[in-house]
Amino acid sequence: MTFTVLKSIKVLNPKTYFNDISDVVICNDKIFSICKDFKTEVSHQDGQINIYDCNGLTMSPGLIDMRVNIGKTENLTAIQKIAAENGITSMVILPNQTPKLNNPSIIDHIKRQSETPNLTKVNIYGAATKDDHGLEMSEIGLMSEMGAIGFTNGNKSIKNSLVMRRLMSYAAMINRPIIQHAEDEDLSGLNKASTTLINGEMNEGEISTRLGLIGIPSCAEVIIVERDIRLAKLTGASYHVAHISTRDSINVIREAKKIGLKVTCDTAPPYFALNETSLLSYNTAFKLSPPLRKEDDRLAVIEGIQDGTIDAIASDHRARSKDTKAQPFSAASVGASGIETLFLMTLELVHKKIIDLNKAISLLTINPANVLKMEKPSLEKDGLADFIIFDENCHDVINQNNLKTSPTPFDQRKIKGKILGTFINGQLAHINQMLKNRIIK
Amino acid sequence: MNELKKNKNKVFFSSPIKLSSNHLLAIEGMEKSEIQKLIERADYFANLDRHTNTKVLQGYVVLNVFFENSTRTRVSFELAARRLGAEVINISLINSSIKKGESLLDTASTLNAMRPDLLIVRHPHSGAPLLFADYLNCSIINAGDGRHEHPTQALLDALTIKRRVGYLEGLKISICGDIANSRVARSNIHLLTTMGAEVRCVAPSTLMPSNLENLGVKCFSNMKMGIKDADVVMLLRLQNERMTGTENPSEREYFKFFGLDEAKLALANPNAVIMHPGPMNRGVEIASALADDTNRSLIKTQVEMGVAVRMSIIEALNHTKNNMKKN
Repeated sequence: MTFTVLKSIKVLNPKTYFNDISDVVICNDKIFSICKDFKTEVSHQDGQINIYDCNGLTMSPGLIDMRVNIGKTENLTAIQKIAAENGITSMVILPNQTPKLNNPSIIDHIKRQSETPNLTKVNIYGAATKDDHGLEMSEIGLMSEMGAIGFTNGNKSIKNSLVMRRLMSYAAMINRPIIQHAEDEDLSGLNKASTTLINGEMNEGEISTRLGLIGIPSCAEVIIVERDIRLAKLTGASYHVAHISTRDSINVIREAKKIGLKVTCDTAPPYFALNETSLLSYNTAFKLSPPLRKEDDRLAVIEGIQDGTIDAIASDHRARSKDTKAQPFSAASVGASGIETLFLMTLELVHKKIIDLNKAISLLTINPANVLKMEKPSLEKDGLADFIIFDENCHDVINQNNLKTSPTPFDQRKIKGKILGTFINGQLAHINQMLKNRIIK
Repeated sequence: MNELKKNKNKVFFSSPIKLSSNHLLAIEGMEKSEIQKLIERADYFANLDRHTNTKVLQGYVVLNVFFENSTRTRVSFELAARRLGAEVINISLINSSIKKGESLLDTASTLNAMRPDLLIVRHPHSGAPLLFADYLNCSIINAGDGRHEHPTQALLDALTIKRRVGYLEGLKISICGDIANSRVARSNIHLLTTMGAEVRCVAPSTLMPSNLENLGVKCFSNMKMGIKDADVVMLLRLQNERMTGTENPSEREYFKFFGLDEAKLALANPNAVIMHPGPMNRGVEIASALADDTNRSLIKTQVEMGVAVRMSIIEALNHTKNNMKKN
């Protein structure tokens, strides 16, 4: 048996609001003990023992990233490894990859293929409809049996109201949430079938006018959210809006929650840390979907995080090759990397005194688990040892050259915080030099 | 011309201009004094009336790189560069490398490897010349990028107005038509507001970009109100190639409400002049007779001034670069 002892670490457990300095002992894949003063001799009889001096460090449950795009050229195992290095112990991937995750056998295949003990766990959203036209329901019951934890059309909106109604109704029956990318495709110009083809490139407003780029009005989001909320009311479904970005949508969701509908939403760091003015130099790292919005929308996202309207923060990772980004803005690909900055940017909210650390960790752990009806991550005796060790106050600068995925919209941003270690199933998935230096024995 | 002879400042700018940048990418952000100097220098070239015969740019290599169709702008740049003694090579990339799948930056770096002094770029995507400027080490002139800017057009329009009216400050200038899709409109708005003119924009609400008033202009969807007392009526082409089919019910409806005809022009200042960056859609944005009215229409003068303005810019970029080398 191998024991890992973390001496005097600040244990932060959002499930029980436990927040205290303790010694934590891990044995196999479980937390063996959380106590004030662990006597190493107790368990020393047989097997190996690793002791870390964790004075000044914090541990929390491993992060759940509820929105990760695996790009065409990306390798799932590589992304799992990078995610683990950045504190993510569980991630949910979107179905719109090649091949599309729209049938039970492929869900099963990816689940099995990705199961490696010390890599980030992979959960899957099944494709809600069989193809891109969004008109035929996929076998969501069978996919659900194979482990799909929710259904979505990824980066495309589920557009047809009747299809959405039936999807919600069916998903409610099997107790799975529907995840929506809320965007009226006709307004944003993404509906390729339409004869009125425009190609929305950024948020509509003064900046789009100055840059001569085609604007997407912010109401393109709330129009879909409002419709879907009415359908959620009709069907009793669990409905989740991904990467919410506008004040209007957040207001609508706040009201829906007040009347008790099962409506939730998440946002991503770009939407609380940046606004559309970042685009003024045509920097394609900021070409995102939904687009970066006005400052007022950014403030609304922060208010939504504070008052709980926004349930979770996801990375919305959508890495793109340098080639597809080194293009004129209109021709460049949409999306930016996120798994490497999710934790750091969420921690920035704590350092800016917008939320406290417990809340920040909740947004990245227990809250997404609640939304997706997953097992609640927790740090308690005999609980699964999926956790991270981090330094809250370590100064650093995000630098694209040091990252493994690109492009980051946060290049050269000064931040505070660092992940020092990640444990998945009790196994060390990542350890950096700072933590290695703290090994006592 | 008589107006011009009165202009005492002329003499000061009969020497090349030094700019604050190696490139001319946009009017937005340019200093008033810089714009003024470029116009004065262009005025000097216009007065030379083709008799430049200068060899100041001998050995200077200009690549005219056009990713979009163009006749007048390309020829105008070519004439300007040749009159200064430069060598000009025209490259039309509408079909070639893009179709072969080459990325824009690869195309750019290929051209850069031939070590030109100046690249004149027209591209259908807003911001593309900025990308060139970031990656290449020659000077770049934006000859029109998507819906963003067309800085040389705005400068030549300003020169045209200045030579006819004598000044820009305080003039009431109405820019009418497809503002949303127009790079000419954006450059003119920035230039004319910087120079102190009162700029009004007139367009059907479907072709008016959002928050345009934040650029310091007044917006009108009623053309009669928009051109009332105007000193200059600047028309824009209805950019059918950028339209999607839902901006306008029909050309005849557009002409009824937004085409310039005698009745609407009667509301403007009696001496008002008409401008159009070309090419014109007769009977759509302008009544044919008005376009040909030599007393009021400056459309041909605009084309002529184009060469002078581009000479002043090319010369200035060369001068700026030489100065930077010295330092």
